Amino acid sequence: MTVDQLIHQFSNSGSFGAGRLSTACNVYEKMVRDQECTIFLALAGAVVPAGMRTLIADLIRRNLIDVVVSTGANMVHDAIEALGGHHYRGHWLMDDMVLYKHHIYRIYDVLVPEEDFVKLDCKLVDIYDDIAAKSKGESLSSSMFAWELGKRLGDSGSILRAAYESHTPIFLPALRDSEFGYIHYLHARRRGFKDALVVDAFKDVREIIEICRNSERNGMIVVGGGVPRNTVQSAALATKSGLDYSLIITMDRPETGGLSGSTLEETISWGKLKAKADRVMVIGDAMIILPIIAASVIERLGDSFKRAPKRLARNR
Amino acid sequence: MKKENKSKERFCGNCDSHSAYYYPRQVFCMRRFTANKEPVVDTLWHCEDWNLGAQECCCVSEAKKQAETGENPS
Repeated sequence: MTVDQLIHQFSNSGSFGAGRLSTACNVYEKMVRDQECTIFLALAGAVVPAGMRTLIADLIRRNLIDVVVSTGANMVHDAIEALGGHHYRGHWLMDDMVLYKHHIYRIYDVLVPEEDFVKLDCKLVDIYDDIAAKSKGESLSSSMFAWELGKRLGDSGSILRAAYESHTPIFLPALRDSEFGYIHYLHARRRGFKDALVVDAFKDVREIIEICRNSERNGMIVVGGGVPRNTVQSAALATKSGLDYSLIITMDRPETGGLSGSTLEETISWGKLKAKADRVMVIGDAMIILPIIAASVIERLGDSFKRAPKRLARNR
Repeated sequence: MKKENKSKERFCGNCDSHSAYYYPRQVFCMRRFTANKEPVVDTLWHCEDWNLGAQECCCVSEAKKQAETGENPS
């Protein structure tokens, strides 16, 4: 039985998580087949440490994603791998004081050596210097910053590199809340805080709103939620039209009032999602759900299907 | 004699401004980096800016073991 055949069996059931997962595959397939739709992927949580880096890079290269909005941390982990670092399998019951003494960080059951972060720091400080020299005092949006990073990474499995090569913008709305922020401090301090790289978060707002506005329809796939989800939703609201498709994978609950668990019906009340939008919220671990959705939809599309590239970052 | 031993224990990996780099033999010194000096130094190298804010870690002990056994870490 193939992945998509299993999903069709889930569809026949139509109930509970199985029903939602089959609906999610339908929503994503519809988004992909709609050539007038711009597909946003919002990433929060430890997506890259969990091993979904090459999946996302593949979706970008196949033009099945047009825009990425991510936490800074996911792109930090992408860059760590691109620069030769690794994530290792550990266990959630490991002794964290022992890990601390040996300079090893834990992300649930994944381990990252501090050393890989330090090597990232060293290399990216030089890259920041280079970008700052090139930009000559002019500020960059976070998507321009991600573009410049992708240009300087050679790893074809990298999300940043795949986005650079396919002219796919990556927005990092909470850029400074990651190792990228600390690296900026090192870069700026090393040069006495003069002529340091400037990333202007407000430049992102105009860029992402214009992408939404110039698109006939907009769709969103969310892993987790948080700032990345709201960045997409707010851009859709600013165009006064709301999203046409929405697929959310989360384990959060709505009762706290937090965005990550908020229902799509709640999103409609804000005007960020059209009332008639194709939508589904799948409650589950995105590390399981997203690869299944991707496999099912790619199987449905077949080898001959080609989605036209949007190349939204083509002007750089 | 006691003082001499204490002096010998003043290694780079004993302060709170270092991170592991090619663990455990080398450390990355943030102080040196931001002062535009070569930031990667041997773990057992004595730093003139050493302070008592020792971070509890295994860099020094592991590097000492390797040095004593003559193990080639690469």
